[in-house]
Amino acid sequence: MEEYAREPCPWRIVDDCGGAFTMGTIGGGIFQAIKGFRNSPVGVNHRLRGSLTAIKTRAPQLGGSFAVWGGLFSMIDCSMVQVRGKEDPWNSITSGALTGAILAARNGPVAMVGSAAMGGILLALIEGAGILLTRFASAQFLNGESSVC
Amino acid sequence: MTCAFLRAIRYTEKLYRSSGKRLFLPYLVLNKACLKTETSLKWGLQEPKKTVRSGCNIGVTRKTIWTQGPSSLKAKEDSSKQVSVHRSQSGETAISTSQKVKEAGRDFTYLIVVLIGIGVTGGLFYTIFKELFSSFSPNKIYGKALEKCRSHPEVVSVFGEPVKGYGEVTRRGRRQHVSFIEYVKDGLKYLRVKFYIEGSEPGKQGTVHVEVKENPGSGECDFQYIFVEVESYPRRTIVVEDNRFQDN
Repeated sequence: MEEYAREPCPWRIVDDCGGAFTMGTIGGGIFQAIKGFRNSPVGVNHRLRGSLTAIKTRAPQLGGSFAVWGGLFSMIDCSMVQVRGKEDPWNSITSGALTGAILAARNGPVAMVGSAAMGGILLALIEGAGILLTRFASAQFLNGESSVC
Repeated sequence: MTCAFLRAIRYTEKLYRSSGKRLFLPYLVLNKACLKTETSLKWGLQEPKKTVRSGCNIGVTRKTIWTQGPSSLKAKEDSSKQVSVHRSQSGETAISTSQKVKEAGRDFTYLIVVLIGIGVTGGLFYTIFKELFSSFSPNKIYGKALEKCRSHPEVVSVFGEPVKGYGEVTRRGRRQHVSFIEYVKDGLKYLRVKFYIEGSEPGKQGTVHVEVKENPGSGECDFQYIFVEVESYPRRTIVVEDNRFQDN
């Protein structure tokens, strides 16, 4: 109610950035816990300490890079909405491609193009999944109301 | 000749041990070492021939000097290794039927997983292409109707110049999906789309209803009507286009 009364777009950047950071930290934490556990010497104490060290070093890094990806993607998305004036799946795909390109800018133009293609394809898949989900969800409601006025 | 040969071998061994480089080096080093020993020992006219011959010799016997260690021992080890390799190869075929079945099963499950992944990805790509590129998708109708609204003077005067359009609000706050209903009547496909527009005038919001009929001849869509409902207190409806009674 109240949070939809204001425009979602500028606030969505912070929202997406934080959400991405959380995802990256939690996922990275689980992953690094298992990895640190396995790469430690024998003995439960060693292994637990190893996994804790791995989590403390690597999980924030992964969270940080996820947050950068999410924040940049949301910023470009909101900028495109402002410029184009309409909200479209095209905005997401282009934002994904531009985010991939910008984040690979250190590695030269060829790497930028490859990273842009990957980002665009990933976002296209996510958008396709979103469209399918909303169609299936709404198709369930339409079962009784298919009469045409 | 043979003592020079052995000297060349020892020289390459020393070089190989000291540098610890790849195994391809001994061949070149051996050639160079051979040249050096040959010229140092015999300063006669037969140098080029001998170097070539010893080079060929070394090429032939390269395999026995390929690893470290004295060559004679190595030759025996290599031959014994080769025999043992042959033995293990003949022994493996007898016991690997169960392993073959296991590997085939594993390969089969991997293949199934890959096929499922390809199927899901293909389905998603097909959905997104149909949504964005086919002319009868709600997204395209939304785009075309928004363009028509933007160029309509009455809409512009009510709402203000940069007219923005958006669809239904989803949980995360993104408003990308427009709501639509697709139905078939008399064998023709109709599509009804509803989206919202907003302009720079503060507080003025509108709902746009669009209906499109698919033209069977050209495959394109004809706009049946485009209505804009302004959400002010006396509800105004701006008719951008009304072709409902044209073809009847």
